[in-house]
Amino acid sequence: MSHFFLHTTLGLVILTVLECLAILVPLLMGVAYLVLAERKVLGAIQLRKGPNVVGPFGMFQTFADAIKMMTKETVIPSGANRVLFLVAPFLTFLLAMIAWAVIPTNNGWAIADINVGVLYLFAVSSLGVYGIIIAGWASNSKYAFMGGLRSAAQMVSYEVSLGLVIVCVLLVVGSLNLNDIILAQRHVWFCLPLLPMFVVFFISALAETNRAPFDLPEGESELVAGFFVEYSSLAFGLFFLGEYMNMILMSAMTSILFLGGWLPPVGIAPFTWIPGPIWLIAKICFVLFMFIWVRATFPRYRYDQLMRLGWKVFLPLSLGWMVLTAGFLLATGLLPTTTPHAAAIAASAQTPPAVEAAPSEGAG
Amino acid sequence: MNWTLALPEIVLSCSGLFILLFGVLQKRSEPSFACTMLTLVAFLVTGILVVVAPDGAGYHGQFVNDGFSRFMKILSLGAAGLAAILSLDYNRQEKTARFEFPVLLLFSTLGTLVMASSANLMTLYVGLELQSLAIYILCAFARDELTSAEAGLKYFVLGSLASGLLLYGISLVYGFAGTMEYAGLRQVLTGGAPLAAGLVIGLVFVIVGLAFKLSMAPFHMWTPDVYQGSPTSVTAFLAGAPKAAAFALLLRVLAQPFGHLAGQWQLLIEIVAIATMFLGSLAAIGQRDIKRLMAYSSIGHMGYAAMGIASATDAGIRGTLVYLATYLIMNAGTFGCILAMRRRGRALTRIEDLAGLGRTDPTLAVLMAVFMFSMAGVPPLAGFFGKLMVFAAAVQAGLWVLAAVGVVTSVIGLFYYWRIVKVMFLDAPVAGAFDHRAPSLSFVSAVTGVATVLFLLVLGPVTGAAQAAAAALFG
Amino acid sequence: MILTQIAFYLFATVLVLSAAMVVSARNPVHAVLFLILGFFNAAGLFLIAGAEFLAMILVIVYVGAVAVLFLFVVMMLDVNFTQLREGVQRYAPVGAAIGVVLLAELVFTVARWQVVPHPAPIAAGNGLPPGITNTEALGRLIYTDYVFLFQACGLVLMVAMIGAIVLTLRERPSAKRQDVSKQHARMPADTMEMMSLSLGAGTTGNHALAAGRDGFLRPHDGYGAVADEGGPGVRAPEDHEADHHHGA
Repeated sequence: MSHFFLHTTLGLVILTVLECLAILVPLLMGVAYLVLAERKVLGAIQLRKGPNVVGPFGMFQTFADAIKMMTKETVIPSGANRVLFLVAPFLTFLLAMIAWAVIPTNNGWAIADINVGVLYLFAVSSLGVYGIIIAGWASNSKYAFMGGLRSAAQMVSYEVSLGLVIVCVLLVVGSLNLNDIILAQRHVWFCLPLLPMFVVFFISALAETNRAPFDLPEGESELVAGFFVEYSSLAFGLFFLGEYMNMILMSAMTSILFLGGWLPPVGIAPFTWIPGPIWLIAKICFVLFMFIWVRATFPRYRYDQLMRLGWKVFLPLSLGWMVLTAGFLLATGLLPTTTPHAAAIAASAQTPPAVEAAPSEGAG
Repeated sequence: MNWTLALPEIVLSCSGLFILLFGVLQKRSEPSFACTMLTLVAFLVTGILVVVAPDGAGYHGQFVNDGFSRFMKILSLGAAGLAAILSLDYNRQEKTARFEFPVLLLFSTLGTLVMASSANLMTLYVGLELQSLAIYILCAFARDELTSAEAGLKYFVLGSLASGLLLYGISLVYGFAGTMEYAGLRQVLTGGAPLAAGLVIGLVFVIVGLAFKLSMAPFHMWTPDVYQGSPTSVTAFLAGAPKAAAFALLLRVLAQPFGHLAGQWQLLIEIVAIATMFLGSLAAIGQRDIKRLMAYSSIGHMGYAAMGIASATDAGIRGTLVYLATYLIMNAGTFGCILAMRRRGRALTRIEDLAGLGRTDPTLAVLMAVFMFSMAGVPPLAGFFGKLMVFAAAVQAGLWVLAAVGVVTSVIGLFYYWRIVKVMFLDAPVAGAFDHRAPSLSFVSAVTGVATVLFLLVLGPVTGAAQAAAAALFG
Repeated sequence: MILTQIAFYLFATVLVLSAAMVVSARNPVHAVLFLILGFFNAAGLFLIAGAEFLAMILVIVYVGAVAVLFLFVVMMLDVNFTQLREGVQRYAPVGAAIGVVLLAELVFTVARWQVVPHPAPIAAGNGLPPGITNTEALGRLIYTDYVFLFQACGLVLMVAMIGAIVLTLRERPSAKRQDVSKQHARMPADTMEMMSLSLGAGTTGNHALAAGRDGFLRPHDGYGAVADEGGPGVRAPEDHEADHHHGA
């Protein structure tokens, strides 16, 4: 049996598909309950109850909304570029999903445990802007277009500091493999020694996902709904799903880069009894709660303030911190010189990663 | 690794960064003049370092220091320094005196130094890009003038095309030879293996790319528009140091790695040189604008200088180097005179505006006449010796056609240079005297004027240095 | 491996086709999107060649940043391509002739491919211990052997940056700038004053009525936004000193 799954082509394909399902099904459920959680948390902060009618504690509210959305008519505006108009939501949704291929959920557990996992994640997250800008342009509507342009400028700006923050982490780890990054946090999570970068990363993640207080691309009060103002029905649903999946992805990235991923807070008995995936999920939930908390408490930024923060504050800060980190590591001789052997680590894990499947998937 | 080899470049780039920082911090106090002065000091220091820098190759076969690179670097630094002085008053008068000007000039010059020291096709490309990119920006420096913006854009687009061709050629060469180092290429080519067609095609593309930068026919079309549209202080620089550096590249690439393929490229260079000389002299006749005329004149000069390469001998390369040295002197002087052409605060560029200059400002007129005659190759002025040496080299190499074309086009050239002298001395003045000359222009024109007239006195040392440089190239 | 070959031909075909579409697409936005598709397929080819770092960097830099800006500009400019295309017919013969020459040269080159008896060794692959990842190998080459070129490329990029600023930055003296630290440092006492009013007297005198009884707060000046020097408008005297250091 194990021979079939690990050593024949067909078996490997089936195994990979199963792995994908094992990630995606919980992910989609996660989105459903994230939406609910957001409404509940916002309600609690604003001293309301939030959804509480459909199902016990409003548990089925999201599903009811989904059914409503799917039964609506898909309206394509006249003058819209039909193909691109429909491609955009799919693109957003697709990109939000394929990023999960490299997220390790336990020691060596990832669909594709590739060497350049961080770069892959960064690449996929930097592509997210296309769904938005194409949607904005293809809608043939000025509000949508304004929203698309705003988000393009915003995401490109914050990507720069995001990349520099990632470089800081990479300097400390000496590897681009996500599993290596987590293993390097066995003794101390990076959120402590790299605290300023953790803050910069978190705020940039808010901007990358177009979340409040940086939700200018969709700012209701100025642009109606921004880039997806013309979307309805399933196309809107896909955008919605993609956005929330991106939120979860960014939370997962934050957990992996700064909060030790699937590692327990301390490596002693009661904590190590809880399996790695549970720890990862717990950390993701914590970061997501922060996302929602921020949304409930901060007013929206003005656009020039947003740009100022990205280019004039975060960029010099992260650049300076990167130089500082490199200098400190070099001066103390802590600079990792050899790559931690990803292969050896993977061999000790229970499930061998399907490494070969990675490149073709990554490119597709 | 002997990193001190590139000390002049390192010092120059560091001082460039320092000047930029200085300019930004002193923004409120109009730091353009101070930055230009600092740039001149940086050029001077770099020049001294170039002279004392040790010979040798370094940086993993990407960088080489020898007599040739030293000669070319001194030429570049000198030309760039003169251009920087010329820009001082002109930029102020044209309200384009921003501190970025000398900084960009400095980085462009840095590019020419890197080009002169290239020992690898990658170094060649990076140096060329550094030099070109800074010039594209300088061409569009007077951003509120439509012509300047157009010149910058035109130069940028065509220059990118040339860079593309160059890169394509480099990639072909790399693909067929397996290396980009000049020494390695030389080894591959002398190894006795049959010559790959792709290598020759690559070489042709490299030559085309460089010919583009040198504005040699048939790749000259950008030159007149860019010369005319750019601010004149930029044109003065554009016609000087970058040309010398591009020639340095062409000479080094052809003589060192591809020296054994002389049979392959000699004819090509010969044809290009003939076309360039004809075009430069014929197209210049009908020009009304002196900057445009200078563009065609510089095209023609590139043709003469290429004549020395076409002969593919030591003497030919020596001739080319001497020619370039004289050209840079005359060029700086001529632009000093052109920059002095302004009436009531407005810069003039039409040839008619020179009418009667012999009566209104005899000093300027005499200087201009000296430069014009020198450019035409009238003995005993500087231009004559350069021409003489390349013609002699061509004749020695048996390239009679080339030499004959050179003589014919020189005569045609004499005609249009004479026309300017005629306008200055024989025509009646139409609109009164020029404004008072800025001291920087007088200084440059006077220095280069004296150098042009008395070139005979320094002919020996210059020829000796050029001889040593040529020997280093072949040795 | 047959799968790799299939992938290679797939990527290569799509790459060539999308490159052709870039130049032939009628809509400039479509052209940019095809360019992006081309980048992706090039990244795929890099992956097949085992250069995973280059593949990812290609996607991050070109697709994630450069092409976004292309798209941005193309969408904003609203280029009228029918007008641009008027010139095409005039220059088509020349362009076609050059294309044919280039094609002939390529055919000529490929046809004589076997001229080189054995492929020359590529210098970059040498001297690396086994087990080193692609990324590390590149890093070692770039930061040790090619450090001179690396720094020179850095200078090229810096010149480009200077250029962008020189050609586009216009300092408008009238522009209002926000100084966040100044806003944060502002205390209510600096900007508000307590006024006490007797009923029906109004606020005609500014300071005459500023005795310390209960009254209301009155703002001094604009909320931290100050004009650069020479700007219009009245400013409180304490702004002058703070102005000098936030112009750059």
